[in-house]
Amino acid sequence: MTRPAIVIGIGNPDRGDDAVGVQVARQVAAERLDVLTLEFDDPSEALDAWASEDTVVVADAIHSGGAPGDIHVVDVVKQKLPVGNWSAGGTHALGLPAVVELARTLDLLPRRLVVVGVEAGQFDHGAPMSEAVLAAVPAAIDAVLNVIDAGQGVS
Amino acid sequence: MTHKLTQGDQILHVDTLARVEGEGGMHIIVREGLVADVELRIFEPPRFFEAFLRGRAWTEPPDITARICGICPVAYQMSSCLAIEDACGVTVPEELRLLRRLLYCGEWIESHALHIYLLHAPDFLGYPGAIEMAADYGAVVERGLRLKKAGNALMTLVGGRAVHPVNVRVGGFYRLPTVQELRDIRPTLELARDEAVETVRLVAGFEFPDLVQPQEYVALRSPHGYPLEGGSVVSSAGRAFKVADFGSHSVEEHVARSNALHSRLDGSKAYVVGPLARYSLNHDQLGPLAREVAHDAGLGDECRNPFQSIVVRAVELVHAADEALSIIDAWDGASAASVDVPPRAGIGHGATEAPRGLLYHRYELAEDGTILDATIIPPTSQNLPSIEADLRAFVQERLELPHDELVRQCEQAIRNYDPCISCATHFLDLTVEEQ
Repeated sequence: MTRPAIVIGIGNPDRGDDAVGVQVARQVAAERLDVLTLEFDDPSEALDAWASEDTVVVADAIHSGGAPGDIHVVDVVKQKLPVGNWSAGGTHALGLPAVVELARTLDLLPRRLVVVGVEAGQFDHGAPMSEAVLAAVPAAIDAVLNVIDAGQGVS
Repeated sequence: MTHKLTQGDQILHVDTLARVEGEGGMHIIVREGLVADVELRIFEPPRFFEAFLRGRAWTEPPDITARICGICPVAYQMSSCLAIEDACGVTVPEELRLLRRLLYCGEWIESHALHIYLLHAPDFLGYPGAIEMAADYGAVVERGLRLKKAGNALMTLVGGRAVHPVNVRVGGFYRLPTVQELRDIRPTLELARDEAVETVRLVAGFEFPDLVQPQEYVALRSPHGYPLEGGSVVSSAGRAFKVADFGSHSVEEHVARSNALHSRLDGSKAYVVGPLARYSLNHDQLGPLAREVAHDAGLGDECRNPFQSIVVRAVELVHAADEALSIIDAWDGASAASVDVPPRAGIGHGATEAPRGLLYHRYELAEDGTILDATIIPPTSQNLPSIEADLRAFVQERLELPHDELVRQCEQAIRNYDPCISCATHFLDLTVEEQ
């Protein structure tokens, strides 16, 4: 049986709301044994993981000035990621939008690539996720699962 | 914008477009056509981790400190292991030292390939970033991605996974790779070595702005070859001291404008760590192939133009791939995965060569192994005063440039150091404020 999708959680789990992408991926892994989940805090690692895949969902924190906990679902095969600070690997790395666009240029995008972004409030080292972002995790998981289930119906 | 900096007194305030607003920035003050001051403001995560480590067990620093950086976790793991083992009076056997070196080769390959191809080459080839460069140089960028992937594969094999390896422990590893597993990765590394040589040829042909660093160079020097997983400290001014004395030579100072500490030799002199320092103090330790390509690239015994750091990184890429193959060929698998490191009260020091320079750790342990105090001095904080000095000299000679071009060249100059600044590409958003 081929897996319906891979889910990639991006972020540093020890840095406040940056943990949300990884938390979403871990909880999806607990619910869906047929889905491969991966965790990276350098988005460029995702490039190697997704190039040969059919459906990929990336969960990540975003800092774009919205309310903490707001959820953005973007089909990046169809459109670019919205402006904002997505994962940049923490240090000296390519950010998620750059990795997506690099993959687009080199024809390394999977057939479907959807990013589920959760608006973050703080990225403090060692801090837990803020209440607003923690409360948004179930909705973010639902968003990821919706993408996976919708993908299964597509030939 | 075409505003020039020679038009009266100016303050250039350079904010970052980093992941978290206000993490860093650059501030240049120009008075009557002369650069009066350059301040680099950089957020530095290790400071917070030092506090996390207090009260934790002596076995935990490799896993905790690996979280400081997604690009060079092995460096943090290796320096922390050495420091803890030093505190406990343990030296790992030769086989485990070699395996640590092999793991470190993977990190150097991954980190250098990322920096050379995706972050720095676009500056030299006239592109705003890797995406635009990939449109015209697709095969070149794909080669960089293959090299990066080869480094990741080696880190995954030896370290358990590429980002934040989980197989490293104080005293060695949890599991050793088998001889067969190491042989299986040989073709990947052979291709990486060939492509690393191609990398040197590519970057040696770039045009390099004139700039000579007068600062003292500091690096490790090791009896085991080009410095990676340990050694003692040497400098271009003839200093030579043990890692245990590092804290008495390199003095950290708090700078009000930044929450990153700045390191200075003996409290006053800016110094440089990283590829140029390593190469200039250890070029005789490079393997034959790396020495040959360095010579062909026109590098002498010493390299003091920070813009040529991209060439030195490429030479180190060759060395890392070549040495990884040598270690694999000699590996017979006949070793225990780790040695016991029983705790004891004491202080330990460890330093290794992270891709971007010397990384120092110091731990004070209680009798039961509880960490009482931790100090981590990363390469970027050691280089901060020198980055500022470079920019001061660099900007002074380029005040006639249009504003946007000056920003672009300043970014390129800062990227020479591959510094730990969030979002190292396109991080300068410059505004000009007249006094």
